[in-house]
Amino acid sequence: MLTYIIRRILILIPMAFVICFLVYLGLELTPGDAVSHMISPDMLGSMDPERLEALRQSLGLGQPFYVRFWSWFTNLIQGNFGYSTNGGVPIANIIATRLPATLELAAIALLFSTVIGCILGVVSALKRGSATDSALTVVGMLGVSIPEFFFGLVAILIFGLNLGWLPVGGRSMPGYLTFWDRVPHLVMPSLVLSIMLTAGVMRYARSSMLDALSRDFIKTARSKGLPEWRVNVLHGFRVALTPVVVLIGFRLPVLIGGSVIIEQVFQWPGIGIEFISAVRSQDYPVVMPIALLSVMAVLIASLIVDILTALIDPRVRLGE
Amino acid sequence: MQFKKLIATGLAVLMTSTAIGGVVAQPINENPLSDPRVRQAISYAIDMDTIAETIFEGAAIPADGLLPDGPNKPTDLNPYKYDPDKARELLAEAGWDSNRELDVVFYYADQATTDLMAAMQAYLADVGIKMNYRLLEGDIGSQISVVPDDPVNGPSKVTWDMLYGARAALALQEYFNRYALGGKPMIPNIPRMNELVAKVNGTTDPEIQREGYFEMERIINENVYQIPLYYQQLYTFESTRLNRNGAPYGNEQYNYNWGVEGWTIEPDASGKAVMYTNTAPAQFFEVPWQNLGIWVSNKFAFDTVLESDGDLLPIGGEMADTYSVSDDGLTFTVTLKDGLTWHDGTAITGDDLAWSIGAAMKFPITHPVVKSTLAKIDGAEAFVAGEADAVSGVSVDGNTVTVKFATVDPNVLLTFSQFAPLPAAQFEGVDPINLQQAPYWQKPIGSGPFKIDEVVMNDYTTLVPFEGYHKGTPKIEQIIASPSYENDANLLVNATAGKADFGYTKVASDVPALEALDHMVVHPINIPYTRMLWINQFPHPTN
Repeated sequence: MLTYIIRRILILIPMAFVICFLVYLGLELTPGDAVSHMISPDMLGSMDPERLEALRQSLGLGQPFYVRFWSWFTNLIQGNFGYSTNGGVPIANIIATRLPATLELAAIALLFSTVIGCILGVVSALKRGSATDSALTVVGMLGVSIPEFFFGLVAILIFGLNLGWLPVGGRSMPGYLTFWDRVPHLVMPSLVLSIMLTAGVMRYARSSMLDALSRDFIKTARSKGLPEWRVNVLHGFRVALTPVVVLIGFRLPVLIGGSVIIEQVFQWPGIGIEFISAVRSQDYPVVMPIALLSVMAVLIASLIVDILTALIDPRVRLGE
Repeated sequence: MQFKKLIATGLAVLMTSTAIGGVVAQPINENPLSDPRVRQAISYAIDMDTIAETIFEGAAIPADGLLPDGPNKPTDLNPYKYDPDKARELLAEAGWDSNRELDVVFYYADQATTDLMAAMQAYLADVGIKMNYRLLEGDIGSQISVVPDDPVNGPSKVTWDMLYGARAALALQEYFNRYALGGKPMIPNIPRMNELVAKVNGTTDPEIQREGYFEMERIINENVYQIPLYYQQLYTFESTRLNRNGAPYGNEQYNYNWGVEGWTIEPDASGKAVMYTNTAPAQFFEVPWQNLGIWVSNKFAFDTVLESDGDLLPIGGEMADTYSVSDDGLTFTVTLKDGLTWHDGTAITGDDLAWSIGAAMKFPITHPVVKSTLAKIDGAEAFVAGEADAVSGVSVDGNTVTVKFATVDPNVLLTFSQFAPLPAAQFEGVDPINLQQAPYWQKPIGSGPFKIDEVVMNDYTTLVPFEGYHKGTPKIEQIIASPSYENDANLLVNATAGKADFGYTKVASDVPALEALDHMVVHPINIPYTRMLWINQFPHPTN
């Protein structure tokens, strides 16, 4: 397994390079540049083109894109993330302040959705065909089908504006010192983010559990006189967990960039919203490290899923 | 023989054209939009009264000229009131090809603009003009502003037929400056307009300026070089907790005498007088020379040299104790008040102002009106080109700064009523071209009534009173600003939740929702902001 892991890690480097190059190329093919996004179109016609060109040159935007890409890449491998073109802010600072906000949201959403999704999925499977199963199936379908921004707006309307129980947005307020101060801000976005995830995990866990319960080893366990809870949880659920772990593993990187809608709705200062803003303003130095982060998260999550699958399911042998 | 030629020419003109309002009605090239009858027909075909009442819910004022109502706009302009029959008649005269489809572009992504485009499409279809519309994205500047290599005959470098855009003017000259030769991506040269643009920019005499504005408005109106659609209003919203204590209202996009240091607000549950607002930064504070009054820092944390009223007419000094403009308009002298300090306690000096003038000349995205004024200072060109270490026309003597201009600028006082000096010592070693990239903009040290206290980028910014502010220490104890903006859905959410005690919007569709809030009061403000259609008269590939 160790050889397999080392080989996979080594493959990550060229893969990340190629993907980053493609992202950079994609940005390059987009019309305009950072300077053309600094000025409103209404004002643009009155600006001095020579000064704008001088600004472009001073920001290094006048060089061919492959030169800029190579410069970015070589700086990166030396640990220099560079500075935002638009505001001159060190990229490391941007990531250091924005990423924790997103991870905080993602971690809670992932934890909540995993626990609740698995429990509901197993209950649904064990009560197959019952009213509970039907109700959970409907709820699951609604959770998967309805866009999360809708849930977000409804939650803000009910809990933020009508009941006034929770703040409508933001991550913190002046005077907050600890994590617990910020919990009221975290409740709505994390729960809304977890709705779709929970529904997905629940549907997956149910199918997986039903599949496991139909296997021969379950019958064997029952025939040995094991208690029903032990059959279901230790034998059935453990096997059913494998595909669920794969699902959850692959959702981890998606959560880093995929919570952008929730960040927008709840005014959450995360990395997703920063990424979208940077793409819109063609702020390459900001876009690239975040893109790289997402790429690495996907690739590493894939590796972790493989390893976890092998650990959970003894039949899986890595590298064979 | 000469006489016969003249008669023949006159008859030919009469047979091939119709004189409308003094305009020779015929195309000037193969683009049918170069025919004024077609442009007039388009004007007549669009029912702006109905559009203003329906799409904009009454929050738009149909326009008959580029300039807003006031002493500088003639009152005899043709409003081109909705008249589809007249439009059809003009199109028939012009021989309009009903198979030709107009390509209309816009760059506002809001729903109201899309609805407006759909309405225009229907109105034009009713008179026999096909139209498609599309949203411009990406590098919008290169798609709307590139002037042809030959600005007289074209062809144009932009490919659309009509552009829906806007002019938000700080100075009225801005409405017309692009009519100067080489400034227009879509309209062939108009010699008289060149003269008039020079005229309104070359004098400080309001009467002479007015003559120029009148004539330019009439020329544009008669020839329909542009179609003014509507005047947009600005809406200031305030919670009922807030009391301005008699301070005036004005154009919130710029700086004016709003007297924020005298505002009061009902204390919150903890007994603290906290005001919530928006326009906090997402990643950095913007240099206050670009969008002059928009951001929370521009409004609260920086003072300007002079002060203007709500209509942006300069009325006195803010940082200035005294100021004067010489009779020939070529020398501006300002003396700063004694004892002014930056928020870190260091003295504000004439050197700070002089450095700021030079830096604003070099900063590439300084507001065009400010830039235009500063560019006329003696030695500006050499300084910007790097041929001089200092601007020769700017001299400092203690707190007095003297600015000598090479040519008259009509907006000297206006410019300095919007111009916020920066602390030169904070920018040592910073090239003004990259001023925005300086670390200073993570937490700027200002000069205004409030100083920036805590900054959590893209989450909130707090400001607290600047003790000893020269106009009196502000009464509001804390300002909490969120990174929400006028086009942002979160503005309404925050306002509903009581997290927006003050702000403004130009989004008409948000106004009814704000007005419906019991705790909110909305004040409409007339501002010089005109939405219009530019018409591409040059030959271009899609003709």
